[in-house]
Amino acid sequence: MSGIETMGSEATGPRMRVTLTVNGADHDIQLDPRTTLLDALREHLGLTGTKVGCNHGTCGACTVHIDGRRQLSCLMLAAAAAGSAITTIEGLAGADGAPHPMQAAFVAHDALQCGYCTPGQIMSAVACVAEGHAGSDDEIREYMSGNLCRCAAYPNIVAAVREVAGSTMAEAA
Amino acid sequence: MKAAAFDYIRPETLGAAITLLSKHGPDAKLIAGGQSLLPALNLRLSAPGLLIDIGRLAELRDITLADRTLHIGAGCTHAHVMNHPIVQRHAPLIARALTEVAHPAIRARGTFGGSLANADPAAELPACALALDAVMHAQGPEGPRRIPAAHFFTSLFETALAPDEVLTGVDIPIQGDTQWGFAELARRTGDYAMVGLAAVARPGTIRLGWFSVGQTAILAHRAAAILTEGGPLEAACTALADDLPAHDDPQASAAMRLHLARVLLRRVVGAWGER
Amino acid sequence: MNQDFSPDRAACGFARDIPLVLDAGEAAALRAGARVGISAAHESAHLHVAGAAPYVDDVPEAAGTLHAALAPSPVASGVLRSIDRAALLAMPGVVAVLTAADIPGANDCGPVIHDDPILADGTLRYRGQPVALIVATARDLARLAAARIGPCLDIEPATPVLTAREAYARGDALLPPASLIRESAPGALTAALAAAPHRLGGQFSLGGQEQFYLEGQIAYALPTENQGLRVLCSTQHPSEMQHLIAHALGWRSHQVLVECRRMGGGFGGKESQSGLFACCASIAAARLGRPVKLRLDRDDDFIMTGRRHPFEYDYDVAFDDDGRITGIEATLIANGGHSADLSGAVMTRALCHLDNAYYLPEVAINGFVARTNTQSNTAFRGFGGPQGALLIEIVMDRIARHLGRDPLAVRRANFYGVASRNVTPYRQTIEDNVVAALVDELVAQADYQGRVAAVAAFNRSNSVLKKGIALTPVKFGISFNVPHLNQAGALVHVYADGSVLVNHGGTEMGQGLNTKVAQVVADALGIGFAAVRCSATDTSKIANTSATAASTGADLNGMAARDAAMTIRNRLADFAAARHGGEAADVQFANDVVRVSGIALAFATLVRQAYEARVQLWSDGFYATPKVHWNPKGLHGRPFYYFAYGAAASEVIIDTLTGEVSLLRADILHDAGRSLNPAIDIGQIEGGFIQSMGWLTTEELVWHATDGRLLTHAPSTYKIPTANDCPAALHTRLFDNPNTEPTIHRSKAVGEPPMLLAFSVLLAIRDAIAATGGPGADPDLRAPATPEAVLDAIASLDAIRP
Repeated sequence: MSGIETMGSEATGPRMRVTLTVNGADHDIQLDPRTTLLDALREHLGLTGTKVGCNHGTCGACTVHIDGRRQLSCLMLAAAAAGSAITTIEGLAGADGAPHPMQAAFVAHDALQCGYCTPGQIMSAVACVAEGHAGSDDEIREYMSGNLCRCAAYPNIVAAVREVAGSTMAEAA
Repeated sequence: MKAAAFDYIRPETLGAAITLLSKHGPDAKLIAGGQSLLPALNLRLSAPGLLIDIGRLAELRDITLADRTLHIGAGCTHAHVMNHPIVQRHAPLIARALTEVAHPAIRARGTFGGSLANADPAAELPACALALDAVMHAQGPEGPRRIPAAHFFTSLFETALAPDEVLTGVDIPIQGDTQWGFAELARRTGDYAMVGLAAVARPGTIRLGWFSVGQTAILAHRAAAILTEGGPLEAACTALADDLPAHDDPQASAAMRLHLARVLLRRVVGAWGER
Repeated sequence: MNQDFSPDRAACGFARDIPLVLDAGEAAALRAGARVGISAAHESAHLHVAGAAPYVDDVPEAAGTLHAALAPSPVASGVLRSIDRAALLAMPGVVAVLTAADIPGANDCGPVIHDDPILADGTLRYRGQPVALIVATARDLARLAAARIGPCLDIEPATPVLTAREAYARGDALLPPASLIRESAPGALTAALAAAPHRLGGQFSLGGQEQFYLEGQIAYALPTENQGLRVLCSTQHPSEMQHLIAHALGWRSHQVLVECRRMGGGFGGKESQSGLFACCASIAAARLGRPVKLRLDRDDDFIMTGRRHPFEYDYDVAFDDDGRITGIEATLIANGGHSADLSGAVMTRALCHLDNAYYLPEVAINGFVARTNTQSNTAFRGFGGPQGALLIEIVMDRIARHLGRDPLAVRRANFYGVASRNVTPYRQTIEDNVVAALVDELVAQADYQGRVAAVAAFNRSNSVLKKGIALTPVKFGISFNVPHLNQAGALVHVYADGSVLVNHGGTEMGQGLNTKVAQVVADALGIGFAAVRCSATDTSKIANTSATAASTGADLNGMAARDAAMTIRNRLADFAAARHGGEAADVQFANDVVRVSGIALAFATLVRQAYEARVQLWSDGFYATPKVHWNPKGLHGRPFYYFAYGAAASEVIIDTLTGEVSLLRADILHDAGRSLNPAIDIGQIEGGFIQSMGWLTTEELVWHATDGRLLTHAPSTYKIPTANDCPAALHTRLFDNPNTEPTIHRSKAVGEPPMLLAFSVLLAIRDAIAATGGPGADPDLRAPATPEAVLDAIASLDAIRP
């Protein structure tokens, strides 16, 4: 069983050791097997860019990439993520620290207000473009509709995704 | 008092999973995608002692076609199933229905078998399984067993699976050139429906699978019989009052739900007539 | 159209690596040295996109931090006889179980009237009310214990009152009823109603709205030396938190420091109602001598906190053949919930906004705040203003349908005049009315008349799908209704290297307040954005602040910050003239360069010279809004310094068989005065429009009819708008209209007024439903216009059809 070791203990309650591969680095952590990936990222690894919104999988604030696909970290046990490549908002920038084009587009288009949903929006947006689901504004709205923004910066979020999708398609052409 | 013992195991084989399941009894719970189980855990509505993760078992991830029957492994994710060419060709109802299941991030992890075994009355797949007359494959300590969809969904979040059985996959008679239709009304994209219909017309049998209408997905037998016998669509709509339980919730009153069900039936079956 | 512009570091915005995207006009102004009127990106935008902008829960926890959870009442009404804590204390990790008796000071977190217990004190008032505060070594352990409270409670349940109409019928009010009456002579309203050629009466029902800030309520209290606390809290009102915490502990204000760097949304929900959580974390931290964090689950946030007041209305209106109102009487019944909270001020604002953009000659508006066994309703963006103004728009629509006239023509006939017909029911003369010109411009921009005809043509040839269109205006009063709240302070530090730190009493919740304040400071000192940094709102820096509310954040704090910055600039100018020659008045500050007596110095160079010459390079600043006054008993005066205006035209399509609604297009023209930051203002306008559209269409709150449980307590059941609910065509423009009052750079407040723009969506739905009936069809549509409400409204027409 790659990266997982159970170590029940009477004194501390159930604990297990898990190796998580986050943003290219391996982290060995000990946690309660019930811990979600969201809590593991925030509380064990100090990666607080991924946000707690609803804990029900209905707001999208905790979206991360698992092996390149967008998934909700509140709906995944950390233990189940062992062995997968996990990417969080903190891992999106280039090796030189330059912002990912989607991050730059969100700034340029004012695609945020309070900013709390922003990391999840961006992780979802990057995946939306990669999936090929950003072909039109209608399609962007549809495929971004799992990420709630209570400030309703949606028009600008759509504009940011459209810009990145456009340049991605231009590169491919 | 100490916290309930809790453990997580990711067995390498289906056999190992079944052994664990039978050894630990009702204290153990299977997890695959976890998209329904995790909310329950987060809300402390569920407190299993042992989680057996079958989400990575390769043997549950096949999609195959043989003898005009499509087999979908229980461990396939929604995204994998809906984008699979064989599914799109031979079970277009499934591919269509899955586009309405939640949002991309959930479809990337939630599994076909998980949704069926969870038996949520508001979920799309159980109604599709009923409409397609699918057959569930279960595996337990005593070996494999087949359960027709019509006998599978027993009550709210309950199925005919024994506590030590695993749903391994589903057989679906291919749709061929049969007429079919799928429609749901939700207040918002990706939300659970106020009411939904999966309909399949095979030669001699029309099946109308409904979801979000009560304690389980159900087949509307009277309405389907009228349509199968070539009776008028309006008579079938009238019969829905007997087929569907009166179900009130904050999303829709029972009267509204029945009205909407009739609208869906007219739209789905009415479109067949136009072809 | 847009062009990237980054001529130098000063022009690169607050995010140094990401150039600003500005149109040609703004780029030229920036080059010329302007720092306001520029669409600078949000000062934290580069942090937000990197996940590097910390909220309270992201701050690393201090060693020994404990976690709290609140145990909810399982009944909506009853007597709490006793709590047996033993079983909970025996649970793993539980450190303390605190009840009302453990609160050392006042068991109250009511912001105005002291009727709001922190923990239930014998009477149970709503289902979900906190009865005990559980403190444990881990959050999950605290929550697990809180979830087990049921068997520990000895309760005598009672029958709850759950609807405002029921409480109104029983006369059970949280506050004395209020009436706003203005007649040309005693009895004139009665006479106008009796004599009118046309008269309509009716009832209307409007739902509440959950704030649904994505960042839930949270407070983190850390003990400090000498009986003190430092409390990190997601709140719009740090000073109020400071006061409530001090009262709850029996302390003085100087023992408590409350800090808030940013909120993940507030929308009014963190104005007073962050108090419960700030108090609970503080009570536990003070008692246990350890840091305590209280972060609510989303579901607990729903069941413990209140929201926008649902309103019920009775009205009676008289009007002439042109649809011009000659008299109106209305009763507004707000569901206040179990305690007063801010309901009194909310009702006052509702009474003062019922007129919206219309002159009401004879008027009587009665307000009743009903006491019910539900969460205590509170501030939400607009603060009663939208609830007041919506009624008159429903009335306008009904008048038009009754007379068979274009609703816009009826609205125009009723608009406030400029020189006459310009006094509000609360006797303020409107001096800045632009509504007619603004609406004319929008009518042209949106091709309103052409589209009315196109909608009618569509409806003639479609029976299942129907379209509707509506154009509604906005007039919204700006200032706190309570005059003394209209004050603000700021602190500006210029460090010896020329960098600048600004602190003010306002809080950042996404509205861009810090960005605007930093722009104001950069403009005053003639320096680049990147030279200015905002720091967390902190009660130890600025004392006695008002809530960041009533849209006043930039008006008040921008002026206070400008006052501080100008004090420093004047000192620098005096020093520069003394050192380098010339007159202080001629010294110019722009683009990081100071020009004095024919020489140019870098700003930082002058600052260094001034420091060495012992010039004070930091200053406080203060602002108090002039002119406002208010008679709270008679409900008259000048509550508003000025008004903000706007209008929106919306076109919808409905499915008459399913009740589904889709907004096809919206055109918005809005008055932000001379905008401090057009991009941020447009974001506020569009965001407010969409958020308000959610309130009026999809966001439905449902309580169990007998046990008082809130059934819609999660994002899966309470439906806020998603990207998919936004129209394919949304055209938003700013109306060019410098404030007639000398506000900060002649700008106008923009937070709340856009909430009224989405009335056009509800009325367009009403228009589409009316198209299913014959001439004069006047559907009975409640809000929110859910599919079921739409189908009911269609049925209301079917019922009267012969």
